[in-house]
Amino acid sequence: MNASYLRFAGRRLLQAVVVVLLAYVFTFVVISVLPGDPVTNTLRNPENGFTEEEIARIVAYYGLDQPVVVQLWQSLSHFVVGDLGVSLRSNLPVTRLVAEVVPSTLALAASALAVALVLAFAVAYGTQNLPRRYGQGVLRALPSLFLSVPAFVVGLLLIQVFAFQLGLFRVIEPDGAWATFFAAVALGIPVSAQVAEVLITGLDHESRQEYAAVARSRGLGQARLFAKHLLKPSSLPVVTVVALTVGELLGGALIIETIFGRTGVGSLVQRSVSTQDLPVLQAVVSLAAVVFVVVNLLADLVYPLLDPRVRLDRAPRKAAGQPGPEQPTPEQPILERQVSVP
Amino acid sequence: MSTTSSGRPPGRTGRTRRAVQAAVAALATVTLTAACAAGGPAEAGGGSGEPREGGDIVFLIDSLGDTWIPNNSSISSFQGHVWGHVTDKLVYVDAEGEVSPWVAESWEQNDDATQFTLHLKDGVTFSDGSPLDAAAVVENLDTWAFGAPDAGISPVGLFPKTYDRAEAVDESTVEVYFDAPTLGFVPTLGYHGSILVSPETLALPAEEQADLSNDIGSGPFVVESWKEGDSVVLTKREDYDWGPEAVGHTGPAYLDTITYKLVAESSTRTGAVQSGQADVAYNATPQELDSFKEQGFSVDVPRYLGFVNGYRLNTRVAPFDDTLVRQAFQHGIDRDEILSTVYTEDWSAAEGLIQSNVPEATDHSDSFAYDPELAASLLDEAGWTEGADGVRTKDGEPLELTLYPNPYLATSKAIDELVAQQLGELGFAVDIQAYDVVTFGERVSDNTSLSNYEVTRSFIDVGTVASILTDAENGEDWFGLGQSDERTNELRDAVAQATDLDERAKAVDELQEHLLEEAYFAPVTQIVQRIYVSNPELHDVTYNGVAYASYYTAWLED
Repeated sequence: MNASYLRFAGRRLLQAVVVVLLAYVFTFVVISVLPGDPVTNTLRNPENGFTEEEIARIVAYYGLDQPVVVQLWQSLSHFVVGDLGVSLRSNLPVTRLVAEVVPSTLALAASALAVALVLAFAVAYGTQNLPRRYGQGVLRALPSLFLSVPAFVVGLLLIQVFAFQLGLFRVIEPDGAWATFFAAVALGIPVSAQVAEVLITGLDHESRQEYAAVARSRGLGQARLFAKHLLKPSSLPVVTVVALTVGELLGGALIIETIFGRTGVGSLVQRSVSTQDLPVLQAVVSLAAVVFVVVNLLADLVYPLLDPRVRLDRAPRKAAGQPGPEQPTPEQPILERQVSVP
Repeated sequence: MSTTSSGRPPGRTGRTRRAVQAAVAALATVTLTAACAAGGPAEAGGGSGEPREGGDIVFLIDSLGDTWIPNNSSISSFQGHVWGHVTDKLVYVDAEGEVSPWVAESWEQNDDATQFTLHLKDGVTFSDGSPLDAAAVVENLDTWAFGAPDAGISPVGLFPKTYDRAEAVDESTVEVYFDAPTLGFVPTLGYHGSILVSPETLALPAEEQADLSNDIGSGPFVVESWKEGDSVVLTKREDYDWGPEAVGHTGPAYLDTITYKLVAESSTRTGAVQSGQADVAYNATPQELDSFKEQGFSVDVPRYLGFVNGYRLNTRVAPFDDTLVRQAFQHGIDRDEILSTVYTEDWSAAEGLIQSNVPEATDHSDSFAYDPELAASLLDEAGWTEGADGVRTKDGEPLELTLYPNPYLATSKAIDELVAQQLGELGFAVDIQAYDVVTFGERVSDNTSLSNYEVTRSFIDVGTVASILTDAENGEDWFGLGQSDERTNELRDAVAQATDLDERAKAVDELQEHLLEEAYFAPVTQIVQRIYVSNPELHDVTYNGVAYASYYTAWLED
């Protein structure tokens, strides 16, 4: 491991820490400007019949009567030493709540990503290799269709057909293999659209290049041309898109988890947002920030493997969150020898 | 350089695309039709009537509430389902408000209802083996009354504020003292807030009480496992032998396990019951119920004890500072239209301020019956004249009104929309402002400057009525009267200080007559807040006074 790599990694790590801390403070500020707090909101429900004095004492127990700045300082000073505090809604330790839900969401997001990639590559392959008159146009329209059908519609339809009609999975066991698969399909479809769009554009571009024509003229079959020559250069922007879709997977998980009855990060967020459970929300937002930063870091590290022209010492120039390195300029020939084709 | 792509014949591709679109549309239609025609239940009914031992049921619920600290959560309309199976209460209150023995096998009170003696059943134990004796009851009473606010544990809000102290006279006798007459004490012991948990649980700090596994009760089921926001699995307690006689069964439960599983999406809950994957779906929408019945599923819509759904009118705020306008509002609401549009035949119109299954309920529906002509003439009399745009005005001011749908009642917005239409025909200009639960709490709940508030509120003892009428003794002052209405003050005291149930029932009747005559309150319908769609093979479910389903008595057909 060379020095430039370490410098690069160190700088990215520092950026990551700053991003996470900013996300933490931002969440705090946003939730704090909302009216009320979870404890008072619950106690004020007229069904409870509490006196103002009783409410004030309980609010004081949670430290919610302190000025916002003091609350932020206390929460931040606990956060940096790894103490995420106690949920205001459930009174359980935040670490326990988050630890309970992360595996389920991880499984869902990973499966959804797999589904999205398989689907995207299949569609992209089809657009290059199917005879134009049989459905290539339809395949090219699929990504727009995938993007425009809301995930919850697909989710409800999958449940109706595969759970209730065909009995392939039980909605009360949402973490089973089939249930996870169909949830992943619902979540993965819109993500696959973006990947497919980028991939198709890349493939279209590459297949117009001279080297492709040369390869074809030498009798290379479409399938081999696709796998050996076109796919690799077209995949570079895909890595960027995939890294960016992590946010979408986490966000989409909220809806899909609700529909499929999965208890994951999304459903925890949903419950916490509706009750303004600040400690839990801060923990989840920070976790999401960490995941996002790490995935994008990994993406940066994958580029050089796909394209040797991407050099590490150029990477730190980009601001955090801006996707990808410069793409290879199309003019540069990939083949060793330039061959002119009539 | 040759081009490899483009140049596709547009017409052909266009046709292909259209054909595929048509095919996709057809496929979607077929799938949807198949989905809608989901197979009904195997066979409806047909039970032998003889309870069968064993069986497991799955209850799908739309939320599992917030914290599990017993004091803070027992009033939650979701968690009450679990508490009702894990814990017992001192008395049992059935769907008609009838109070009967449970852990307390008998009780007495002194003449002015300030001192009560509870006699406990012998041999009742918590699931950790410790005895549910007089000392444990005293600790529970103290916790319900006072909580531990400085340790984050709230009191049980509706427990009588007149509670002074309780003493264990011997192992099975508890003496309870109050500062003032408290006829409501014994019924309150059957309320969903008054759950008996072991003194060991009560001694735990808030964070540990919040872990349901640490909350030890004496009920017919125990918590086998649970996951926050996901599910609670209960298994039956084999040595349980102190069920309430009123439900006709006192031994161990018939079912082996009950699984409460959170499924937030309503159609998934009902779909799962339809396809036999679960046994009970909670909170289906009223509009779906008829089709479930046709398919042979059991649909239960038990009413709770409490106030009816209706509008309390603020006598301090225009236009309701005028009795005639309040009366016009009352008579301008067509309750039959609301029932037939928003609900099904399982719902019924309000007959007064309180639900008609409250023992003290009396029918006052004549005093606020729908009568648009009467309503119009009342508004004429009050000086509100109809303008060109159909809105009435008085001294240049339009007859304006804003309704705030109550977010705790799902059908509230639909009701308000109908009411707005009905009142619009009379010349009111009605606006609807819908808020979510949090914003509603901030802007509507305690806001005394609003002209009306839509009531949804349960109680287990009619004595609660006394606490909402005026601002005396922290009263809620629902109608903005303060203490200005002599007759209301008088009747409030008659209800609150009654030492005899018949005497109190009479006072409640007179109070309702007075409130409705003065049109402080405009009743709409009786409330059903809990809707159950169940597998028809599940028999003998009991519903208590707050409409919770108990599966203690329930059994599954083979």
